[in-house]
Amino acid sequence: MTNNRQSILSKLTNPKYIMVYATIGIFFVIYAFGAFMYGDKGFMTVRTFVNLFIDNAYFGISAVGMTMVLITGGIDLSVGAVASLTGMFIAYGTTVLGLHPMTCIFAALVMGVGLGLLMGWVIHYLNVPPFITTLTGMFFARGVCSLISRESIDIHHPMIDALAGWKIYLMKYSAGHWVRIRPIAFINFNVILFVVMIIAGTFILQRTRFGRNIYAIGGNEQSASLMGLPVGRTKVLVYGFNGLCSVLAGISYALYVKSGWNLSLQGGELEVITCAVIGGTLLTGGVGYMIGTLFGVLLKSVIPALITFNGNLLSWWGKIATGGLLLLFICIQRFVVTSSARKK
Amino acid sequence: MPQKNILEMKGITIQFPGVKALDGVDFSLREGEIHSLLGENGAGKSTLIKCLTGVNRMDEGQILLDGREIRPSGPSQAMELGISTVFQEVNLCPNLSVAENIFVGRQPMKHGQINWREINSRAEELMSRFHLNIDVTRPLSYYSTAIQQMTSIARAVDVKAKILILDEPTSSLDENEVQLLFNVMRELRANGMGIIFITHFLDQIYAVSDRMTILRNGHLIGTYGINELGKVELVTKMVGKDMDVIFNLKRAEVPGDADYMLKAEHIGDASHVKDISITLKKGELVGFAGLLGSGRTETAEMLFGASRTVKGEIFVDGESITLRQPFDAIKARIAFCPEDRKRDGIIGDLSIRENIMLAVQSRKGFMHPMTKQEQTELADKYIKLLGIATPDCEKKAGELSGGNQQKVILARWMAAEPKILILDEPTRGIDIGAKAEIQRLMLEMCGEGVSVIFISSELDEIIRCSNRIIIMRDREKVAEVDGSSCTQQDILKIIAEGAA
Repeated sequence: MTNNRQSILSKLTNPKYIMVYATIGIFFVIYAFGAFMYGDKGFMTVRTFVNLFIDNAYFGISAVGMTMVLITGGIDLSVGAVASLTGMFIAYGTTVLGLHPMTCIFAALVMGVGLGLLMGWVIHYLNVPPFITTLTGMFFARGVCSLISRESIDIHHPMIDALAGWKIYLMKYSAGHWVRIRPIAFINFNVILFVVMIIAGTFILQRTRFGRNIYAIGGNEQSASLMGLPVGRTKVLVYGFNGLCSVLAGISYALYVKSGWNLSLQGGELEVITCAVIGGTLLTGGVGYMIGTLFGVLLKSVIPALITFNGNLLSWWGKIATGGLLLLFICIQRFVVTSSARKK
Repeated sequence: MPQKNILEMKGITIQFPGVKALDGVDFSLREGEIHSLLGENGAGKSTLIKCLTGVNRMDEGQILLDGREIRPSGPSQAMELGISTVFQEVNLCPNLSVAENIFVGRQPMKHGQINWREINSRAEELMSRFHLNIDVTRPLSYYSTAIQQMTSIARAVDVKAKILILDEPTSSLDENEVQLLFNVMRELRANGMGIIFITHFLDQIYAVSDRMTILRNGHLIGTYGINELGKVELVTKMVGKDMDVIFNLKRAEVPGDADYMLKAEHIGDASHVKDISITLKKGELVGFAGLLGSGRTETAEMLFGASRTVKGEIFVDGESITLRQPFDAIKARIAFCPEDRKRDGIIGDLSIRENIMLAVQSRKGFMHPMTKQEQTELADKYIKLLGIATPDCEKKAGELSGGNQQKVILARWMAAEPKILILDEPTRGIDIGAKAEIQRLMLEMCGEGVSVIFISSELDEIIRCSNRIIIMRDREKVAEVDGSSCTQQDILKIIAEGAA
């Protein structure tokens, strides 16, 4: 018997990976462009690379949950508001009410996961489109933010300060000693949380039945239920998990800016969706990989970095470039989908 | 030797609003048996299956599995009980790999993780039992419908099923694939599985089944051994009326000097069809024969403007026309019933009335809307004329059976009073009674001067109806034969060998 499965080439040319290749490829092209143009200004340093993670960790954490939601064929517009509300919980709880941050985080988790589960339940069992349901969730969460406070509240708490200030310096071995690399580069709690979430997300999607059910639902929800898969439970849990990711993103953002503000992260949900989509996740569902989302986050964040290095461009060019990328990826997706449909 | 009954259904009655879908039906299935379930559309076959798999609740009756009473609450519970179903439409996930489609929901686990290695190797083993050596890690959408069908059977078989229900599994398979499927069915039978087989191909019933049960209008007509009942008797029992109608269809009569309604000269599209020439006279019926993928559908789509003709010329009624989009064809009074009626033809959420008047309205233009009363009259006329089984014209088209949906599409184009009607597999997946009706309607339209192009995979109906038959192979027209003087063997030979 010819065993074509084990051929590595055949594995790698599997058409399902095309989108991920496109993302990774474009990221490296843009990065190489940056290195060519601004290599002398320090674009090629480890620091620049690590900063891509540090400055966008909260988007990345949220994108993990968003990727799963998108794979089911759904969408969640509430993530920015829920993350913002998490920040408000922590800021108001610690600074105004004098609560321990862990208490606030626990309350935020209950709120975020609970809202996610509720939205999932409404979407599946009441058959309300995800767009509408989560739009409602977004207004709800944003409303509660403003109810708590309409002013920005600084966060001052030893535990938060410690967590936000905690960092691991990247070292290298030279002349018999471990020394910090120059220019100084470090990773912090947010980066670790982001990477852990990406790994956890990959594990869930690729190695658990729950994850595979997510793909099956995105492929064809009716078939999935005829195949006896727990469609309702899976969908509710996916939105619940996304709620969890939103809260973690909110914590990460709070650590990043060390304050809570009712209007923070407005439009954040769209940035998160953008990360997932340029990472190769199909908006129609059924296709998407965490590794793609990781590179989607990096790709989206490398553009502002380039603009900073250029120094002469207005930052709005970043938005325009991101829009262009999004358009490019949607066109590639369309092309991949139609060409695979034609093969039938 | 009396075998043990694995399944017994007694006195099953299901009441739908306004109609008794099943009325006291008994059915039994033995261990190691292939049992065909027969009946026209609407006879209650699907309802019986849905009752067994828990999709529909029965109002009266009893289901015994291995002597124990069961009441499955849904397909997944039925599956746990050992009742697996493979539907006509492939109910799998196109984005998942072949292997995963077989195992999703019950993946083998190792250390709390999905064991992909085992999934892939077991899937490969299962597919090779069907003599398919394919890369099972590729997405399902990468493969043909036949392989997708085999995948769903592999899935059903691998669940330790005692009962396998095959609902029209062969309608999209070619001859070799059907034989492959039959071999698999026989092997499963030898292992003691009970198989319920639903098909509208009579030959296949005789080729593979042990017994058959016939339903008509929700009533049990009887259960027979395969040798107890001949084909004609069987059809008579299914349809409940004389079959003379079917076997006495007369070809359209075309006078030798009739005008050419359609002439296509050396047309080809961008990718599929190279060079085809077709002529069609007024009131003539031309059949397109050929295997799936031979270019029949692509040619029809060009003639309807659904795909771009890049070379050659098309004349309608003597005038050269350019078909850029279906609207151009509708203006030229060309009508097209596509092959996949669910996807391209019927709009399930619209009522029968709205479905019927679509093409008329499109031709009239939206500036001249028809009144509701005109529409209703029009719809009622065709419902009566075509014998569409529905309480009224406001029923959603998606709720009709396949044969009735086909009639609605036919009515849509008849109402538009076309000069040229192209029918792509109009009789696919519908029962023999409805098939005969459709054929009769086609020929009646020819009698009224409409020219018809009839595409079908079933050679007997092509030969029965066509004046001329165009035979296609590998995206080319290889021969044109006279419908009255050729036999199935002639055509098969041309399809197989390519020589005229």
